[in-house]
Amino acid sequence: MRKQRFFTVITGIFLILAFILVVVPATALWAHETGTAVSRDAAPLENDDDFDDFDDEDEEFVTIADPLEPINRGIFWFNDKLYFYLIKPVTKVYRIVPERARISVSNFFSNIFTPIRFTNALVQLKFRDAGTELGRLLINSTIGIGGLFDPAKNIYGIKKKNEDFGQTLGHYGVGQGFYLVLPVIGPTSLRDGLGLAADSYYLNPIYTLDLKDRDKYTLVVLDKINALSLDRDTYEAIKKESLDPYLFVRDAYSQNREGKIKK
Amino acid sequence: MKKISSTIIGILIILLFNTPIQAAAPTDQLRRSLDGIIEVLREQGLDSEVRREKIRVLFRERFDFRVMSRRVLARNWKEATPEIQDRFVALFTDLLEATYIGRIEEYSDERVDFVKERIKEKRAIIDTLIVTRSVEIPINYKLTLTGDLWLVYDVVIEEVSLVRSFRSSYSTIVKKEGFEGLLAKMENKVEELNSSDGKKKK
Repeated sequence: MRKQRFFTVITGIFLILAFILVVVPATALWAHETGTAVSRDAAPLENDDDFDDFDDEDEEFVTIADPLEPINRGIFWFNDKLYFYLIKPVTKVYRIVPERARISVSNFFSNIFTPIRFTNALVQLKFRDAGTELGRLLINSTIGIGGLFDPAKNIYGIKKKNEDFGQTLGHYGVGQGFYLVLPVIGPTSLRDGLGLAADSYYLNPIYTLDLKDRDKYTLVVLDKINALSLDRDTYEAIKKESLDPYLFVRDAYSQNREGKIKK
Repeated sequence: MKKISSTIIGILIILLFNTPIQAAAPTDQLRRSLDGIIEVLREQGLDSEVRREKIRVLFRERFDFRVMSRRVLARNWKEATPEIQDRFVALFTDLLEATYIGRIEEYSDERVDFVKERIKEKRAIIDTLIVTRSVEIPINYKLTLTGDLWLVYDVVIEEVSLVRSFRSSYSTIVKKEGFEGLLAKMENKVEELNSSDGKKKK
Protein backbone atom coordinates (compact mmCIF):
# COMPACT_ATOMS: atom_id res chain seq x y z
CA MET A 1 0.00 0.00 0.00
CA ARG A 2 2.64 2.45 1.14
CA LYS A 3 4.82 1.50 -1.77
CA GLN A 4 2.10 2.39 -4.19
CA ARG A 5 1.60 5.75 -2.59
CA PHE A 6 5.30 6.37 -2.74
CA PHE A 7 5.42 5.71 -6.45
CA THR A 8 2.41 7.95 -6.96
CA VAL A 9 4.34 10.71 -5.23
CA ILE A 10 7.42 10.15 -7.36
CA THR A 11 5.38 9.98 -10.53
CA GLY A 12 3.64 13.17 -9.45
CA ILE A 13 6.92 14.91 -8.95
CA PHE A 14 8.11 13.92 -12.37
CA LEU A 15 4.84 14.98 -13.98
CA ILE A 16 5.15 18.38 -12.32
CA LEU A 17 8.73 18.52 -13.45
CA ALA A 18 7.81 17.65 -17.02
CA PHE A 19 5.02 20.23 -16.95
CA ILE A 20 7.34 22.94 -15.73
CA LEU A 21 9.96 22.10 -18.30
CA VAL A 22 7.51 22.17 -21.15
CA VAL A 23 5.43 25.17 -20.16
CA VAL A 24 8.00 27.51 -18.70
CA PRO A 25 11.27 26.59 -20.28
CA ALA A 26 12.88 29.99 -20.05
CA THR A 27 11.78 31.16 -16.67
CA ALA A 28 13.72 33.59 -14.61
CA LEU A 29 15.31 30.67 -12.86
CA TRP A 30 17.24 29.67 -15.93
CA ALA A 31 17.93 33.20 -17.03
CA HIS A 32 19.74 33.65 -13.79
CA GLU A 33 21.76 30.54 -14.29
CA THR A 34 23.37 31.82 -17.43
CA GLY A 35 23.68 35.40 -16.22
CA THR A 36 27.07 36.69 -15.23
CA ALA A 37 25.94 38.53 -12.14
CA VAL A 38 26.62 35.73 -9.70
CA SER A 39 27.19 37.13 -6.28
CA ARG A 40 30.09 35.69 -4.42
CA ASP A 41 30.77 34.69 -0.91
CA ALA A 42 33.06 37.04 0.90
CA ALA A 43 36.68 36.09 0.24
CA PRO A 44 37.95 33.84 3.00
CA LEU A 45 40.84 35.00 5.11
CA GLU A 46 44.18 34.99 3.34
CA ASN A 47 45.87 31.71 3.87
CA ASP A 48 49.63 31.84 3.62
CA ASP A 49 49.86 28.08 3.74
CA ASP A 50 48.61 27.95 0.19
CA PHE A 51 51.87 29.40 -1.05
CA ASP A 52 54.42 26.65 -1.55
CA ASP A 53 57.81 27.48 -0.15
CA PHE A 54 59.65 25.29 -2.67
CA ASP A 55 61.65 23.87 0.24
CA ASP A 56 59.36 20.89 0.45
CA GLU A 57 61.16 18.89 -2.17
CA ASP A 58 62.39 16.31 0.27
CA GLU A 59 58.87 15.44 1.26
CA GLU A 60 57.15 12.64 -0.54
CA PHE A 61 53.59 13.81 -0.04
CA VAL A 62 52.34 10.36 0.74
CA THR A 63 48.91 11.51 1.69
CA ILE A 64 47.15 8.42 2.99
CA ALA A 65 48.19 5.09 4.45
CA ASP A 66 47.15 2.07 2.41
CA PRO A 67 47.89 -1.13 4.28
CA LEU A 68 45.12 -2.94 2.41
CA GLU A 69 46.48 -2.05 -1.02
CA PRO A 70 46.24 -5.54 -2.57
CA ILE A 71 42.60 -5.91 -1.50
CA ASN A 72 41.81 -2.33 -2.42
CA ARG A 73 43.30 -2.84 -5.85
CA GLY A 74 41.13 -5.90 -6.29
CA ILE A 75 37.98 -3.99 -5.46
CA PHE A 76 39.15 -1.08 -7.59
CA TRP A 77 39.46 -3.51 -10.51
CA PHE A 78 35.98 -4.87 -9.79
CA ASN A 79 34.49 -1.36 -9.61
CA ASP A 80 36.24 -0.46 -12.84
CA LYS A 81 34.60 -3.38 -14.65
CA LEU A 82 31.26 -2.62 -13.04
CA TYR A 83 31.59 0.95 -14.23
CA PHE A 84 32.42 0.18 -17.83
CA TYR A 85 30.08 -2.78 -18.32
CA LEU A 86 27.05 -1.74 -16.33
CA ILE A 87 26.97 1.72 -14.83
CA LYS A 88 28.36 3.57 -17.83
CA PRO A 89 25.97 2.05 -20.39
CA VAL A 90 23.02 2.73 -18.09
CA THR A 91 24.18 6.32 -17.64
CA LYS A 92 24.51 6.74 -21.39
CA VAL A 93 20.92 5.68 -21.91
CA TYR A 94 19.81 7.85 -19.01
CA ARG A 95 21.39 10.86 -20.71
CA ILE A 96 18.39 10.82 -23.08
CA VAL A 97 16.63 12.73 -20.31
CA PRO A 98 17.13 16.44 -21.08
CA GLU A 99 19.92 18.03 -19.11
CA ARG A 100 17.60 20.54 -17.47
CA ALA A 101 15.50 17.75 -16.04
CA ARG A 102 18.60 15.99 -14.79
CA ILE A 103 19.80 19.18 -13.13
CA SER A 104 16.43 19.39 -11.42
CA VAL A 105 16.71 15.81 -10.22
CA SER A 106 20.13 16.70 -8.86
CA ASN A 107 18.71 19.81 -7.15
CA PHE A 108 15.94 17.70 -5.68
CA PHE A 109 18.33 15.22 -4.09
CA SER A 110 20.62 17.96 -2.93
CA ASN A 111 17.67 19.61 -1.23
CA ILE A 112 16.50 16.51 0.60
CA PHE A 113 20.07 15.88 1.80
CA THR A 114 20.05 19.21 3.63
CA PRO A 115 19.82 17.51 7.07
CA ILE A 116 23.27 16.00 6.51
CA ARG A 117 24.90 19.33 5.70
CA PHE A 118 22.94 21.31 8.27
CA THR A 119 23.61 18.97 11.18
CA ASN A 120 27.29 18.58 10.41
CA ALA A 121 27.77 22.33 10.05
CA LEU A 122 26.03 22.73 13.40
CA VAL A 123 28.18 20.11 15.11
CA GLN A 124 31.28 21.90 13.79
CA LEU A 125 29.86 25.10 15.30
CA LYS A 126 29.72 26.68 11.85
CA PHE A 127 26.51 28.49 12.68
CA ARG A 128 26.58 30.73 9.65
CA ASP A 129 26.87 27.72 7.32
CA ALA A 130 24.09 25.94 9.19
CA GLY A 131 21.94 29.03 8.77
CA THR A 132 22.80 29.11 5.08
CA GLU A 133 21.65 25.53 4.69
CA LEU A 134 18.42 26.19 6.55
CA GLY A 135 17.75 29.27 4.43
CA ARG A 136 18.45 27.34 1.26
CA LEU A 137 16.08 24.57 2.32
CA LEU A 138 13.29 27.08 2.93
CA ILE A 139 13.82 28.99 -0.31
CA ASN A 140 14.35 25.97 -2.54
CA SER A 141 11.50 23.94 -1.08
CA THR A 142 9.06 26.79 -1.70
CA ILE A 143 10.11 29.09 -4.53
CA GLY A 144 12.24 26.27 -5.90
CA ILE A 145 9.16 24.02 -6.12
CA GLY A 146 10.03 21.21 -3.78
CA GLY A 147 13.75 21.57 -4.42
CA LEU A 148 13.58 21.04 -8.18
CA PHE A 149 15.25 24.38 -8.72
CA ASP A 150 17.94 26.25 -6.89
CA PRO A 151 16.74 29.84 -6.66
CA ALA A 152 18.69 30.21 -3.41
CA LYS A 153 21.86 30.15 -5.48
CA ASN A 154 20.62 31.42 -8.81
CA ILE A 155 18.64 34.37 -7.51
CA TYR A 156 19.98 35.10 -4.06
CA GLY A 157 23.52 33.85 -4.56
CA ILE A 158 23.42 31.60 -1.49
CA LYS A 159 25.62 28.63 -2.18
CA LYS A 160 25.51 25.16 -0.74
CA LYS A 161 27.92 24.35 2.09
CA ASN A 162 29.09 20.80 1.69
CA GLU A 163 29.51 19.08 5.02
CA ASP A 164 29.35 15.47 6.12
CA PHE A 165 30.28 13.48 9.18
CA GLY A 166 33.67 12.47 7.79
CA GLN A 167 34.51 16.18 7.54
CA THR A 168 33.16 16.79 11.02
CA LEU A 169 35.47 14.10 12.41
CA GLY A 170 38.36 15.60 10.45
CA HIS A 171 37.48 19.04 11.73
CA TYR A 172 37.94 17.75 15.26
CA GLY A 173 41.29 16.23 14.44
CA VAL A 174 40.44 12.65 13.51
CA GLY A 175 42.85 11.45 10.83
CA GLN A 176 41.84 9.58 7.71
CA GLY A 177 42.92 6.28 9.18
CA PHE A 178 43.68 4.36 6.03
CA TYR A 179 42.47 4.17 2.47
CA LEU A 180 39.55 1.92 1.65
CA VAL A 181 37.95 1.03 -1.65
CA LEU A 182 34.43 -0.24 -1.15
CA PRO A 183 32.56 -2.31 -3.73
CA VAL A 184 30.26 -0.07 -5.79
CA ILE A 185 30.71 2.91 -3.45
CA GLY A 186 34.35 3.40 -4.39
CA PRO A 187 37.19 5.28 -2.69
CA THR A 188 36.86 6.24 0.93
CA SER A 189 38.86 6.07 4.13
CA LEU A 190 38.23 4.45 7.46
CA ARG A 191 37.12 7.81 8.85
CA ASP A 192 34.99 8.85 5.90
CA GLY A 193 33.49 5.39 5.53
CA LEU A 194 32.31 5.51 9.14
CA GLY A 195 31.15 9.07 8.52
CA LEU A 196 29.15 7.98 5.52
CA ALA A 197 27.54 5.17 7.50
CA ALA A 198 26.59 7.57 10.30
CA ASP A 199 25.20 10.17 7.88
CA SER A 200 23.20 7.53 6.03
CA TYR A 201 21.82 5.95 9.15
CA TYR A 202 20.89 9.05 11.10
CA LEU A 203 20.57 11.95 8.66
CA ASN A 204 19.91 10.79 5.12
CA PRO A 205 16.12 11.02 4.55
CA ILE A 206 16.27 8.18 2.04
CA TYR A 207 17.21 5.86 4.91
CA THR A 208 15.60 7.59 7.87
CA LEU A 209 12.18 7.88 6.30
CA ASP A 210 10.18 4.71 6.57
CA LEU A 211 10.50 3.66 2.95
CA LYS A 212 10.29 0.21 1.41
CA ASP A 213 13.70 -1.26 0.66
CA ARG A 214 13.06 -1.24 -3.05
CA ASP A 215 12.15 2.42 -3.03
CA LYS A 216 15.26 3.24 -1.06
CA TYR A 217 17.47 1.51 -3.58
CA THR A 218 15.63 3.05 -6.49
CA LEU A 219 16.25 6.50 -5.06
CA VAL A 220 19.89 5.80 -4.27
CA VAL A 221 20.52 4.45 -7.76
CA LEU A 222 18.65 7.33 -9.38
CA ASP A 223 20.70 9.83 -7.41
CA LYS A 224 23.99 8.22 -8.37
CA ILE A 225 23.20 7.62 -12.04
CA ASN A 226 21.84 11.14 -12.34
CA ALA A 227 24.96 12.65 -10.77
CA LEU A 228 27.16 10.57 -13.05
CA SER A 229 25.18 11.65 -16.10
CA LEU A 230 26.02 15.28 -15.32
CA ASP A 231 29.71 14.54 -14.91
CA ARG A 232 31.92 14.87 -17.99
CA ASP A 233 33.48 11.44 -17.84
CA THR A 234 36.13 12.37 -15.31
CA TYR A 235 36.90 8.75 -14.53
CA GLU A 236 37.49 7.88 -18.19
CA ALA A 237 39.95 10.74 -18.44
CA ILE A 238 41.81 9.61 -15.34
CA LYS A 239 41.83 6.05 -16.60
CA LYS A 240 43.19 7.12 -19.95
CA GLU A 241 45.78 9.58 -18.79
CA SER A 242 47.39 8.35 -15.62
CA LEU A 243 50.22 5.88 -15.41
CA ASP A 244 48.49 4.14 -12.53
CA PRO A 245 44.82 5.14 -12.13
CA TYR A 246 44.62 3.43 -8.74
CA LEU A 247 47.36 5.63 -7.31
CA PHE A 248 45.95 8.75 -8.90
CA VAL A 249 42.45 8.18 -7.55
CA ARG A 250 43.76 7.34 -4.10
CA ASP A 251 45.80 10.48 -3.90
CA ALA A 252 43.18 12.73 -5.43
CA TYR A 253 40.60 11.37 -3.01
CA SER A 254 42.67 12.10 0.03
CA GLN A 255 43.73 15.57 -1.14
CA ASN A 256 40.17 16.49 -1.99
CA ARG A 257 38.89 15.41 1.42
CA GLU A 258 41.64 17.16 3.35
CA GLY A 259 41.03 20.30 1.32
CA LYS A 260 37.33 20.22 2.12
CA ILE A 261 37.98 19.78 5.83
CA LYS A 262 40.21 22.87 5.91
CA LYS A 263 37.37 24.98 4.53
CA MET B 1 56.83 62.74 -51.28
CA LYS B 2 59.19 59.93 -50.54
CA LYS B 3 60.16 61.66 -47.34
CA ILE B 4 56.56 61.95 -46.20
CA SER B 5 55.77 58.32 -46.86
CA SER B 6 58.89 57.15 -45.09
CA THR B 7 57.96 59.37 -42.13
CA ILE B 8 54.51 57.83 -42.06
CA ILE B 9 55.98 54.36 -42.22
CA GLY B 10 58.39 55.35 -39.49
CA ILE B 11 55.55 56.56 -37.28
CA LEU B 12 53.58 53.40 -37.98
CA ILE B 13 56.52 51.27 -37.01
CA ILE B 14 56.97 53.24 -33.82
CA LEU B 15 53.26 52.93 -33.05
CA LEU B 16 53.28 49.23 -33.73
CA PHE B 17 56.31 48.29 -31.76
CA ASN B 18 56.30 50.92 -29.10
CA THR B 19 53.16 49.81 -27.34
CA PRO B 20 54.29 49.81 -23.74
CA ILE B 21 55.00 46.31 -22.50
CA GLN B 22 54.02 46.29 -18.89
CA ALA B 23 54.72 43.47 -16.53
CA ALA B 24 51.03 42.68 -16.54
CA ALA B 25 49.33 41.31 -13.47
CA PRO B 26 49.37 37.50 -13.26
CA THR B 27 45.63 37.28 -13.79
CA ASP B 28 45.85 39.22 -17.06
CA GLN B 29 48.63 37.00 -18.31
CA LEU B 30 46.84 33.82 -17.37
CA ARG B 31 43.54 35.03 -18.74
CA ARG B 32 45.17 35.80 -22.08
CA SER B 33 46.56 32.28 -22.34
CA LEU B 34 43.35 30.56 -21.25
CA ASP B 35 41.22 32.68 -23.57
CA GLY B 36 43.62 31.84 -26.36
CA ILE B 37 43.39 28.11 -25.72
CA ILE B 38 39.60 28.14 -25.42
CA GLU B 39 39.32 30.20 -28.59
CA VAL B 40 41.36 27.62 -30.50
CA LEU B 41 39.26 24.81 -29.04
CA ARG B 42 36.06 26.52 -30.14
CA GLU B 43 37.31 27.39 -33.60
CA GLN B 44 35.33 25.48 -36.19
CA GLY B 45 36.75 23.54 -39.09
CA LEU B 46 40.33 23.63 -37.95
CA ASP B 47 42.60 20.83 -39.04
CA SER B 48 43.25 18.67 -36.00
CA GLU B 49 47.01 18.83 -36.38
CA VAL B 50 46.94 22.62 -36.70
CA ARG B 51 44.67 22.84 -33.67
CA ARG B 52 46.98 20.70 -31.59
CA GLU B 53 49.98 22.71 -32.59
CA LYS B 54 48.32 26.03 -31.81
CA ILE B 55 47.24 24.81 -28.39
CA ARG B 56 50.65 23.34 -27.75
CA VAL B 57 52.32 26.68 -28.39
CA LEU B 58 49.91 28.57 -26.11
CA PHE B 59 50.18 25.96 -23.42
CA ARG B 60 53.95 25.79 -23.45
CA GLU B 61 54.48 29.51 -23.17
CA ARG B 62 52.41 29.73 -20.00
CA PHE B 63 53.59 26.67 -18.09
CA ASP B 64 57.00 26.16 -16.56
CA PHE B 65 57.57 22.47 -17.06
CA ARG B 66 61.05 22.48 -15.60
CA VAL B 67 59.88 23.84 -12.27
CA MET B 68 56.96 21.41 -12.35
CA SER B 69 59.19 18.46 -13.16
CA ARG B 70 61.60 19.39 -10.39
CA ARG B 71 58.77 19.66 -7.91
CA VAL B 72 57.14 16.44 -9.07
CA LEU B 73 60.32 14.39 -8.87
CA ALA B 74 61.60 16.12 -5.74
CA ARG B 75 64.33 13.93 -4.29
CA ASN B 76 64.54 11.84 -7.45
CA TRP B 77 65.22 15.00 -9.45
CA LYS B 78 68.35 15.77 -7.49
CA GLU B 79 69.63 12.25 -8.02
CA ALA B 80 69.01 12.21 -11.77
CA THR B 81 71.63 13.22 -14.34
CA PRO B 82 70.92 16.32 -16.46
CA GLU B 83 70.21 14.09 -19.48
CA ILE B 84 67.64 12.10 -17.60
CA GLN B 85 66.15 15.29 -16.21
CA ASP B 86 65.72 16.60 -19.76
CA ARG B 87 64.14 13.36 -20.87
CA PHE B 88 61.72 13.53 -17.98
CA VAL B 89 60.81 17.16 -18.67
CA ALA B 90 60.03 16.34 -22.30
CA LEU B 91 57.85 13.35 -21.42
CA PHE B 92 56.14 15.13 -18.57
CA THR B 93 55.35 18.07 -20.82
CA ASP B 94 53.63 15.77 -23.31
CA LEU B 95 51.68 13.95 -20.64
CA LEU B 96 50.53 17.06 -18.86
CA GLU B 97 49.54 18.66 -22.10
CA ALA B 98 47.25 15.74 -22.87
CA THR B 99 45.83 15.68 -19.35
CA TYR B 100 45.25 19.38 -18.97
CA ILE B 101 43.99 20.06 -22.47
CA GLY B 102 41.70 17.05 -22.26
CA ARG B 103 40.06 18.51 -19.18
CA ILE B 104 39.85 22.04 -20.57
CA GLU B 105 38.40 20.67 -23.81
CA GLU B 106 35.49 19.07 -21.95
CA TYR B 107 34.59 22.41 -20.49
CA SER B 108 35.48 24.71 -23.37
CA ASP B 109 31.85 25.77 -23.78
CA GLU B 110 31.54 26.91 -20.19
CA ARG B 111 32.24 30.18 -18.51
CA VAL B 112 35.49 30.68 -16.62
CA ASP B 113 35.33 33.15 -13.74
CA PHE B 114 38.46 34.67 -12.29
CA VAL B 115 37.58 34.82 -8.63
CA LYS B 116 40.64 35.98 -6.76
CA GLU B 117 44.31 36.75 -7.12
CA ARG B 118 46.86 36.51 -4.35
CA ILE B 119 50.45 37.59 -4.79
CA LYS B 120 53.28 37.05 -2.41
CA GLU B 121 56.65 38.17 -3.71
CA LYS B 122 57.36 36.03 -6.77
CA ARG B 123 54.44 33.64 -6.31
CA ALA B 124 50.85 34.08 -7.22
CA ILE B 125 47.73 32.00 -6.74
CA ILE B 126 44.80 32.64 -9.01
CA ASP B 127 41.44 31.13 -8.15
CA THR B 128 39.18 30.42 -11.08
CA LEU B 129 35.80 28.78 -11.27
CA ILE B 130 34.41 26.86 -14.21
CA VAL B 131 30.68 27.44 -14.10
CA THR B 132 28.45 24.90 -15.80
CA ARG B 133 24.71 24.64 -15.46
CA SER B 134 24.98 21.91 -12.87
CA VAL B 135 28.28 22.42 -11.10
CA GLU B 136 31.00 24.90 -10.30
CA ILE B 137 34.51 23.52 -10.44
CA PRO B 138 37.22 25.44 -8.62
CA ILE B 139 40.52 25.43 -10.48
CA ASN B 140 43.40 27.30 -8.89
CA TYR B 141 46.58 28.13 -10.75
CA LYS B 142 49.88 28.58 -8.95
CA LEU B 143 52.35 30.80 -10.74
CA THR B 144 55.89 31.95 -10.31
CA LEU B 145 57.48 35.09 -11.74
CA THR B 146 60.36 34.61 -14.17
CA GLY B 147 61.54 37.84 -15.75
CA ASP B 148 58.27 39.59 -16.41
CA LEU B 149 56.37 36.40 -17.15
CA TRP B 150 54.08 34.69 -14.69
CA LEU B 151 54.36 30.97 -15.36
CA VAL B 152 52.12 28.22 -14.04
CA TYR B 153 53.88 25.60 -11.96
CA ASP B 154 50.86 23.84 -10.45
CA VAL B 155 47.16 23.46 -11.14
CA VAL B 156 44.83 22.63 -8.27
CA ILE B 157 41.48 21.19 -9.38
CA GLU B 158 38.93 20.75 -6.60
CA GLU B 159 41.64 20.81 -3.95
CA VAL B 160 43.68 18.24 -5.86
CA SER B 161 47.12 19.54 -6.78
CA LEU B 162 48.58 18.05 -9.95
CA VAL B 163 52.12 18.35 -8.63
CA ARG B 164 51.24 16.62 -5.39
CA SER B 165 49.36 13.83 -7.13
CA PHE B 166 52.14 13.23 -9.61
CA ARG B 167 54.78 13.37 -6.91
CA SER B 168 52.99 10.81 -4.85
CA SER B 169 52.25 8.34 -7.64
CA TYR B 170 55.58 8.79 -9.46
CA SER B 171 57.60 8.26 -6.33
CA THR B 172 55.67 5.04 -5.72
CA ILE B 173 56.43 3.89 -9.27
CA VAL B 174 60.12 4.81 -8.96
CA LYS B 175 60.33 2.89 -5.71
CA LYS B 176 58.84 -0.20 -7.31
CA GLU B 177 60.28 -0.13 -10.80
CA GLY B 178 63.17 2.31 -10.71
CA PHE B 179 63.58 5.53 -12.61
CA GLU B 180 63.95 3.77 -15.95
CA GLY B 181 60.69 1.97 -15.26
CA LEU B 182 58.93 5.29 -14.74
CA LEU B 183 60.34 6.77 -17.94
CA ALA B 184 59.35 3.66 -19.91
CA LYS B 185 55.80 3.88 -18.55
CA MET B 186 55.61 7.54 -19.46
CA GLU B 187 56.86 6.85 -22.98
CA ASN B 188 54.21 4.19 -23.49
CA LYS B 189 51.52 6.48 -22.19
CA VAL B 190 52.49 9.37 -24.45
CA GLU B 191 52.47 7.05 -27.45
CA GLU B 192 49.10 5.63 -26.45
CA LEU B 193 47.57 9.09 -26.00
CA ASN B 194 48.92 10.38 -29.30
CA SER B 195 47.63 7.41 -31.28
CA SER B 196 44.17 7.46 -29.70
CA ASP B 197 43.92 11.20 -30.36
CA GLY B 198 44.74 10.66 -33.99
CA LYS B 199 42.04 8.02 -34.29
CA LYS B 200 39.10 9.79 -32.72
CA LYS B 201 39.27 12.84 -34.97
CA LYS B 202 36.04 14.31 -36.24
